[in-house]
Amino acid sequence: MRRALVSGGTKGIGLAIARALAAAGHEVVALYASDDDAARAAEASFAPGTYRALRCDVAAAAAVDALFAAEGERGFDVFVHAAGFTRDKLMLMMPERDFDDVVAAHLKGGFLVAKQALKAMISRKLGRVVFIVSPTALLGRAGQTNYGAAKAGLIGLTRSLAREVARFRITVNCVCAGFVETAMTASLPDKARAEMLAAIPLGRAGRPEEIAAATEWLCSDGAGYITGTVLGVDGGLT
Amino acid sequence: MNDLKKDIKELIIQSLNLGDVTPESIVDDAPLFQEGLGLDSIDALELAVAIERKYRVTIPDEAVGKKVFSSVAALAQYVSENRPPA
Repeated sequence: MRRALVSGGTKGIGLAIARALAAAGHEVVALYASDDDAARAAEASFAPGTYRALRCDVAAAAAVDALFAAEGERGFDVFVHAAGFTRDKLMLMMPERDFDDVVAAHLKGGFLVAKQALKAMISRKLGRVVFIVSPTALLGRAGQTNYGAAKAGLIGLTRSLAREVARFRITVNCVCAGFVETAMTASLPDKARAEMLAAIPLGRAGRPEEIAAATEWLCSDGAGYITGTVLGVDGGLT
Repeated sequence: MNDLKKDIKELIIQSLNLGDVTPESIVDDAPLFQEGLGLDSIDALELAVAIERKYRVTIPDEAVGKKVFSSVAALAQYVSENRPPA
């Protein structure tokens, strides 16, 4: 059975990805930052033995190293980095901390976890890494300089890393997840939501399952010739 | 130490699929990369992972990697100094 690691895999898009990977036969380990209740609820919703949720601060190298030490030699065949949060503010009003925290969770977290996960993939000469990114990385959005920079950083990381590990039959890609109704986007003002929807050619928000289906496919054997790309799953927005 | 060097040579050959190279033909002090065996930096990734798994020593960054991968002798030295007690 293949093993998949999904950061942010207890809620929202990450949880939908965990479900899609489990349905495709993966044993899933989900990482979460702080919400123990959501993690236990997610665990209860999976078939026994198919899903575990572990608390891990992906932006802390020591925590990530400890996780991989505990998970042992077998490692993971798939790593999907879906962890993240927004802390939107206009840049001139943005405290340094909001910039650092968002970049740390998305970009540094992706770097730290992928760095560990790749070791087992290199040994096995097969692997899949997918970073969930955002249209903000490509189009920009006022109030999201921190988030946009972090997500654009992941695209740059993806393109370079894809070249470094291609020899080991490891693919590295991004899924650009468009506007999806989750807890993370629920706090948007109505006006901002209406403007966002109006800009989407397909005229509606995406569903977490739609992001998950594309991500699962990138992790499948059939997608073995795709690396270093950004797959837009965003209703045509980008 | 000589056993360790021989083990490491075998690990290099096996993990990098150097089927036409024998352990005896790898000189202890000869450079492994570019000259010598002609390995490149991506080969070094694979070797680093193999070394880490077999001997439980981490090669944390490129500065250490450069030193450690300069030769089989340097690699054996690093492994013997850093591996956890059996």
